[in-house]
Amino acid sequence: MSSNTRSVSVEVVCVLLCSTLSGVCLAPLCMNSHSSCHVVSLSDLFDRVIQHSSRMHGVSNDLHAEFEQHFLPSKNQISRVSRNCHTSTIFTPNGKENTQRMAGQELTEVILKLLLAWRDPLWHIHQGMAHHHDFNNFSSNKVLEMSDMVHELRKGVEKVAEKMQMSGIISNSVSSRASPEAPPLADSPEWRLMKVYDLLYCFRRDSNKVQNYLKILKCRIVPEHGC
Amino acid sequence: MSLCGAMMKSSVEVNLLLLLVFTLCVKAMRYSPPEKPVLTRCRSPEKETFTCWWEPGSDGGLPTTYALFYRKENSETVYECPDYHTAGENSCFFNKNDTSIWVNYNITVVATNALGSTFSDPVDIDVVYIVKPNHPEKVTVTVMEDKGWPFLRVSWEPPHQADTRSGWITLIYELRVKLEGENEWEMHLAGQQKMFNIFSLRSGGTYLVQVRCKPDHGFWSEWSTTSYIKVPDYFHREKPMWVLITCFCAFIFLILTWLLHMNSQSLKHCILPPVPGPKIKGFDKQLLKNGKCDEIFSALVVPSFPPTAPPNCEDLLVEYLEVYVPEEQELIMEESKDLNDLCLKSGGCTSDNDSGRGSCDSHTLLMDKFREAKEKRKPREQGSGQAGTESQGNQRDWEEEGSSCAHEDMVSPSISSGRVKTWPCVFSPLPQYSSGRLEHKGSLERAKQHCHSDTLFPLGSTSSSLDQQGQHTKETLRPSNWEFGLSNKQPHLLHPHTRPQRQLQAHSDVNISSIGHKRELRGLHSPAPESTEYVEVQRVNEENMVLLQPVDSERGHMEDCSQVPLGEDYSRVNGVDRDNRLLLQREVTQGDRCFCGDRDMNGERTENCYSLSTATMTQKPRVCIHTAMPVQDNMVLGVTGYVDTSTASTLPSY
Repeated sequence: MSSNTRSVSVEVVCVLLCSTLSGVCLAPLCMNSHSSCHVVSLSDLFDRVIQHSSRMHGVSNDLHAEFEQHFLPSKNQISRVSRNCHTSTIFTPNGKENTQRMAGQELTEVILKLLLAWRDPLWHIHQGMAHHHDFNNFSSNKVLEMSDMVHELRKGVEKVAEKMQMSGIISNSVSSRASPEAPPLADSPEWRLMKVYDLLYCFRRDSNKVQNYLKILKCRIVPEHGC
Repeated sequence: MSLCGAMMKSSVEVNLLLLLVFTLCVKAMRYSPPEKPVLTRCRSPEKETFTCWWEPGSDGGLPTTYALFYRKENSETVYECPDYHTAGENSCFFNKNDTSIWVNYNITVVATNALGSTFSDPVDIDVVYIVKPNHPEKVTVTVMEDKGWPFLRVSWEPPHQADTRSGWITLIYELRVKLEGENEWEMHLAGQQKMFNIFSLRSGGTYLVQVRCKPDHGFWSEWSTTSYIKVPDYFHREKPMWVLITCFCAFIFLILTWLLHMNSQSLKHCILPPVPGPKIKGFDKQLLKNGKCDEIFSALVVPSFPPTAPPNCEDLLVEYLEVYVPEEQELIMEESKDLNDLCLKSGGCTSDNDSGRGSCDSHTLLMDKFREAKEKRKPREQGSGQAGTESQGNQRDWEEEGSSCAHEDMVSPSISSGRVKTWPCVFSPLPQYSSGRLEHKGSLERAKQHCHSDTLFPLGSTSSSLDQQGQHTKETLRPSNWEFGLSNKQPHLLHPHTRPQRQLQAHSDVNISSIGHKRELRGLHSPAPESTEYVEVQRVNEENMVLLQPVDSERGHMEDCSQVPLGEDYSRVNGVDRDNRLLLQREVTQGDRCFCGDRDMNGERTENCYSLSTATMTQKPRVCIHTAMPVQDNMVLGVTGYVDTSTASTLPSY
């Protein structure tokens, strides 16, 4: 009899534990209806995203400058007229009026597209720099960090978009399936080096775009703070 | 000759040619294509427009025009600057329509003159990275108060061109403050806020404030125009606190001062302990300062100190005659003791009584003797009383015992044969007593005349009574008078016989009748009044015999005592018996000085001269009987040390 009671008690304890754990697991996101759950406001979300993008841009800026300083002392060594970022195909507003003219949803989509376009190239850059000894470890780490940040920022922007859609700001769901892919790195070291440099340059610009677009969005949707 | 002429001609031609060429060259060098211009900078104030400036080179002497051409990214189309004038000279202004953000511009300036054109180096710019906004506008500084403490509140507006509201551009601000007249600015980074507070101001000071801004990725703007602000005086608010602090400090200071004052003595002793001075008597600091060592040490030397010979009790006592001291005289002895001490130590004592009793407590010895004497006297008093000689003997004993304390007058220091240590000055009056001699009838009377009538007979009846014989009453009275006199007049003197005298007095009446003639002196020897005679100790001869000298009362001068009245006298100490009692010897002397006496403190048995003296009485011998006679047993010696007259009478007459 005692053994049975013991087993029963153990089972009860296990069930309780599981329920608590499941309770934690089963509630990943807070619903608006739940009052006990802490709801992150859209404004806060935007602030977080904007801060993230700002940090990303800063890292890209530093990386570009460092690369330019180490590997390309002469600035005009190679003509960059024919620089062509792979993300140029994405229509991005290049002015304030153009940006303000664009709808929120489109803008969000552009952001997401940009972020998505840079997920793989950064990884390739990281791989290329790691395997080749002509790149120092410091740059390689930063590239990896940038790659992670791009991924997280994209997730964050997706969350924001989702939130906006729930709030009724955006009508349709944002889809970013189509995304141009960066061309693979060339085999020769010179091309590789140029490619990395160009990629870094392009990414620096695109991160700035993302940050700017997000700020525009925020000041348009939640203009309470900092606008 | 001709050759020279030809040569000269050719040289001139060459010179001319050279000149021509030179002038042509000079002419050609004045004009030249323009030098390559240099693009100095391109700036965008709000990220919507931008301007580029170049620096032209030398124009080559010819009017030169400058043109700016640009190409956009991924486009081969070359555009020329749309606006050369808005931004000033050598500038190109790109308006909003011509400005594309996140687009790489390739700009080139071309300088052109008649001779040619020169291209500048191309410059790639992206508008996003060349943003330099204008300085903030509407900078306002106000003085505000926070709980009585003022502070500056600086507020400003972003430059009107920069569109921060739409979020297109994000600016961060920075301000700097300094006091008027100082050189160092105080920088404060304000972030994206457009308001800032400055604390810790100096009252009454004038402050200068400036603000500038910068986009998140760009260049700092210029400083705004200086704003002046004067901080009002707020010292009066701090005053109460300072007043409180000052009062508190003053209070503490007063308390400390008071405490110091109260404990100044102890502090003085603590910090500056007093220097102990020399404590040597006779030590003269002045001599020490003078530095004369000899004088110093000589001053320390005391003649009589330290004593060269350790005081020996026996030595001291040998030189003394023990005298029975009645209790009444104890006090006097106490006082005299002090005097003795002083005299002894100082060494400079003028007293001639070099009679230091010294360390020997002869006082106690005296007391013991006194007690013994008392004991002796008592039985004697109780005796049948043969006042006569016995009494006289007693008295003699008394006298001698009393005279043991010879004063300075009696014993002059000139007597150098022996060291007669006499009792101290206290006993000075004693010679009066000692000089006084108990006189028996006849000789007694004469002897009595020796007594100091002044002191001993206040009634003044002594002399008359002395001369008379048979006036026993007076004789009897005498001792009584003496007694009284002794007791009353000089209570401080050594009066060893006061009590026995009083005791004897009781019997005086009884024995009056017996006292008559000399021969009847025996009766007098009963405890009847026994006159007291004090004999002075003159000196101690070589044989250690105390020579006593009867004192001449009439003369009042005991010095010589050369005249010894006829009659019997008990001025001789026969000896000291076993019990330390002086045995006086009665003798009749006439004009002679007789000294006899044995003194032995050890109580050695000595003969009793008394019996002999009685024998000699009738014969009137003038010879001192020095021979000692064995003590007869029936010679009962009184407790007081006097020869018992009663027993003496039993002696067979010679």
